[in-house]
Amino acid sequence: MSELPDKIQDWFSDRGWQMRDHQRRVLEVSSAGHSALLIAPTGAGKTLAGFLPTLAHHATQKHDGLHTLYISPLKALAVDVARNLTDPIGEMGLDIRVETRTGDTPSNRRRRQRYDPPDILLTTPEQLALLISHPDAHRMFDSLKRLVLDELHALVTSKRGELLSLGISRLARLAPQMQITALSATIARPETLRDWIAAPVAPQTTELLEMAGGAQPEVSILASKDRLPWAGHSASYAVPDLYEIIKNHGTSLLFVNTRSQAEMLFQALWAANDDDLSIALHHGSLDVAQRRRVESAMTRGDLRAVVCTSTLDLGIDWGDVDLVIQIGAPKGASRMLQRIGRANHTLDTPSKALFVPSNRFEVLECEAALEAVHRGVQDSEDPVEGGMDVLAQHVLGMACATEFETKELFGEIITAWPYRNLSQARFERVLEFAATGGYALKAYERYAKLRRTPEGKWRIANAGIARQYRLNAGTIIAEPMVRVRLTRSMERRPGRPSTPRGGRVLGEMEEYFFSQMRVGDTFLFGGETLSFQGMRENEAFVARTQAKDPKIPSYMGGKFPLSTYLAERVRAILGSPDEWHKLPKQVSEWLSLQGHVSLLPGRDNLLVETFPRADKSYLVCYPFEGRLAHQTMGMLLTRRLERLRARPLGFVASDYALVIWGLGDMSMMIRNGQLSLDELFSEEMLGDDLEEWLDESSLMRRTFRNCAMIAGLIERRHPGKEKTGRQITMNSDLIYDVLYAHEPDHILIEATRRDASRGLLDIERLGECLRRIRRNIVHKPLLRISPLAVPLMLEIGKEPIFGEGRESAMAEAADELIREATGS
Amino acid sequence: MANAIQMSVAESEAPLIHFCGHAFLPLLSGGLFWQAENTLLVADLHLEKMSSFARSGQLLPPHDTGATLQRLASDLAETGATRVICLGDSFHRDEGTSTLLGDDKNRLEELIADRDWLWIAGNHDPAPHALGGACCPKTKIANLVLTHKPTQDLFGQVCGHLHPAARVHINARSVRRPCFVHDERLMMLPAYGVSTGSLNILSPPFAGLFERRELRVTMLGRDRLYPVGAKRLVGG
Repeated sequence: MSELPDKIQDWFSDRGWQMRDHQRRVLEVSSAGHSALLIAPTGAGKTLAGFLPTLAHHATQKHDGLHTLYISPLKALAVDVARNLTDPIGEMGLDIRVETRTGDTPSNRRRRQRYDPPDILLTTPEQLALLISHPDAHRMFDSLKRLVLDELHALVTSKRGELLSLGISRLARLAPQMQITALSATIARPETLRDWIAAPVAPQTTELLEMAGGAQPEVSILASKDRLPWAGHSASYAVPDLYEIIKNHGTSLLFVNTRSQAEMLFQALWAANDDDLSIALHHGSLDVAQRRRVESAMTRGDLRAVVCTSTLDLGIDWGDVDLVIQIGAPKGASRMLQRIGRANHTLDTPSKALFVPSNRFEVLECEAALEAVHRGVQDSEDPVEGGMDVLAQHVLGMACATEFETKELFGEIITAWPYRNLSQARFERVLEFAATGGYALKAYERYAKLRRTPEGKWRIANAGIARQYRLNAGTIIAEPMVRVRLTRSMERRPGRPSTPRGGRVLGEMEEYFFSQMRVGDTFLFGGETLSFQGMRENEAFVARTQAKDPKIPSYMGGKFPLSTYLAERVRAILGSPDEWHKLPKQVSEWLSLQGHVSLLPGRDNLLVETFPRADKSYLVCYPFEGRLAHQTMGMLLTRRLERLRARPLGFVASDYALVIWGLGDMSMMIRNGQLSLDELFSEEMLGDDLEEWLDESSLMRRTFRNCAMIAGLIERRHPGKEKTGRQITMNSDLIYDVLYAHEPDHILIEATRRDASRGLLDIERLGECLRRIRRNIVHKPLLRISPLAVPLMLEIGKEPIFGEGRESAMAEAADELIREATGS
Repeated sequence: MANAIQMSVAESEAPLIHFCGHAFLPLLSGGLFWQAENTLLVADLHLEKMSSFARSGQLLPPHDTGATLQRLASDLAETGATRVICLGDSFHRDEGTSTLLGDDKNRLEELIADRDWLWIAGNHDPAPHALGGACCPKTKIANLVLTHKPTQDLFGQVCGHLHPAARVHINARSVRRPCFVHDERLMMLPAYGVSTGSLNILSPPFAGLFERRELRVTMLGRDRLYPVGAKRLVGG
């Protein structure tokens, strides 16, 4: 049935449109009773393709109950799609009820949707988890024919995707007739994503429909006459150029990697804004209402430019964006292709994009990304394997729905792709955890959340457990946040502690940011310079100020590490001087100079430079493996250097390189064989050193907090009382310490370790790097700093220096006290 | 007094703390050994803290009580103290005295059996109990008052309650650890229990308790104690 029903055909014809090829293919596959993964670039009418089979069905037949469930990563997208569906449905004269369901949907409507569902329900993975946890879920879903998964590529690389996969495994049991149509941007390995979709609906066939990319995007790198900075991330050198470019385009989207960069760039553009262009700011910390205002102004076409972070990576169609500008490191080729796709949401006109490196290393990265974009290289991440924390949450949810047998639920769960390799023994440990905490000490039998029925099935102990589950479901764990509230600047009157009084809420920021602030410190937020006035409970009070040179919010490296592909290309460019003619002159000269005074890092080796500076010795290496892997490497190398008596003092890591400094003369130690670089960088550091370091690592504690909340060990919300982030953080650290000390094999410690090794510690990447460079380390002792080392050396002092928790700070303070006391 | 600190740091790991005419040996665990009285002082054990969350559905690792008692046992073995005074909040809540797991209960009974044991009431565990030893609101030994919560105008108090911690910041590095803190009138012990958090001594709850100029801070390191100067202390 690839023929369209008349109502729909007429609708296309009335507009002078034709069904696109991939839309027709989706229709064919669907009427053959198969599932499908449709991969198509932005602007191809993917979403309509996803819904065409549903519309076609309703045009010819009657359907009772829920027909199509649509899941998107963003609430805003679900709402937008609902709007975009309602119009065509009306125009085609179809009788289809479309509704959304998000956290913002009023509770009476949500209740009603369960017993009287619409034909098409648009929602998020979290809402799906909640829906299937109800005992009457089968009533709602047994009529379900189609599941549409939008922007699936964005979900499957996170815990949200793990939870979604489990939800789908349940849906497939409640509605065995269900077909899946998944929509994805272009990715590196489409077959894997197809398998992800096919697993729960097997033996149904799942077809892969790939649509060739549209017009080749026009991408260039900003050629500025100004001096390219050695280091830093502000790209302030480029502001005059950027302003001219904005002036010469209709609407521009300026993507930056972090919120603080967004603030700085926004401020700088307004300072240059002599023509009063409408330039707006959009990032995740701004108040929701403020963000919505920017979005609707954008849709109306009222804005000339928006400075934004990854918050605008996905989501609603902006209409006419003429130019996408990427400021700073691109990080990955697929990411860039998707961002570039934000310009011109039509297929046949090329998207236009501009890369703006903010320092010299980023020029190399931009060059690599440009080449990757031209060649259409994809380096997106693959779907992740399932974590035990998410599984524990799902198990509890399933017990809330109905009692189950161990084997039966296990059989269902392994149809979810991320859990396909789960063993029954591990599953049973997760069950024990969900029931009584899974401790060797059987302390909590009487508080068990899950109990066995006389028939040996599992069920929840009482109805309160289900209420608690529904309050805490989901895998999105926010950093502890505080509200930023505007107040008047307070005069400090002696003897009268002044209490800040509340004004408007400007947005939210991570609590740790304010923990480093003193009253009177100034910073940029929402495009204004604010001065910190004090904290009360969950709120930070701030006042507007005229102060110049605000303290820059600590630079949190972008969330995304440099992709392996781009890293490899950057190393390749460095190692091939004949390619340097493509680079700006300042950069090629910089590299030539490096070649003269030191060496250039090669494609497969690791360059290590050592040199003295002031009274310290420095070791710089250039692995190009991303900040997280470098940080872990820094931690481990520092430990090893300490043992070798090189007396390291600290280190700083960037996406490209790592510098460690200390009191011992490392050049000399290497020369006379006291220090062997092959041994220093040997893979063994991932053994005992890693274990020892994990013992004290705050990164493990932070990772644990997320796992413990997702798994339900720690509640985010308890009926009646909201916990603040601060309380949770403190408790979860203590819990981690106790659990790690006494049950290092606990399922949640395992989950934490796994998350940390691919997340904050990026141990996998570090491991690959160490294998690559084995016996391939090139040492260059120098008398002074090398040109390539300059950018990183400039970061020292700006970046937090690692060494927190080291005893030496206390020892120095204690020695100082002694000197003071003895007058020496 | 400064001299005393200097001597002991220079000599090695055991800096004595002098307070109101008495010498105390601070332990890495957060206990304070009063050699002259052969007495071990500990504050804020918060036994049964983890298990106290079970009723609200959070099944936290029930190992904290055992670990704290283990800590206590090894301090007692090392010091040979014949008397133990727990300065309040020994249990996270009164009900904790009845929720001890079998092994923990036995271990505690063994510890109590061999020596004088005094439970001072805290705000978390005000009720007397019958776990052995004596329970009382506060006590006096020599010229010192041993109590849970400090009161402002009393000379010679030894107490717990606030879980003091200090952060030193020096040469662009900082570290935060629990600490002993005292001036000429008041001595406060760090919390001893493994499941206890801590509060920076520069935070508001400490306001008015200590004379800043006389402040003496001894931080708990991994392998030794560090007496640090007040001018290096920062908040957070």
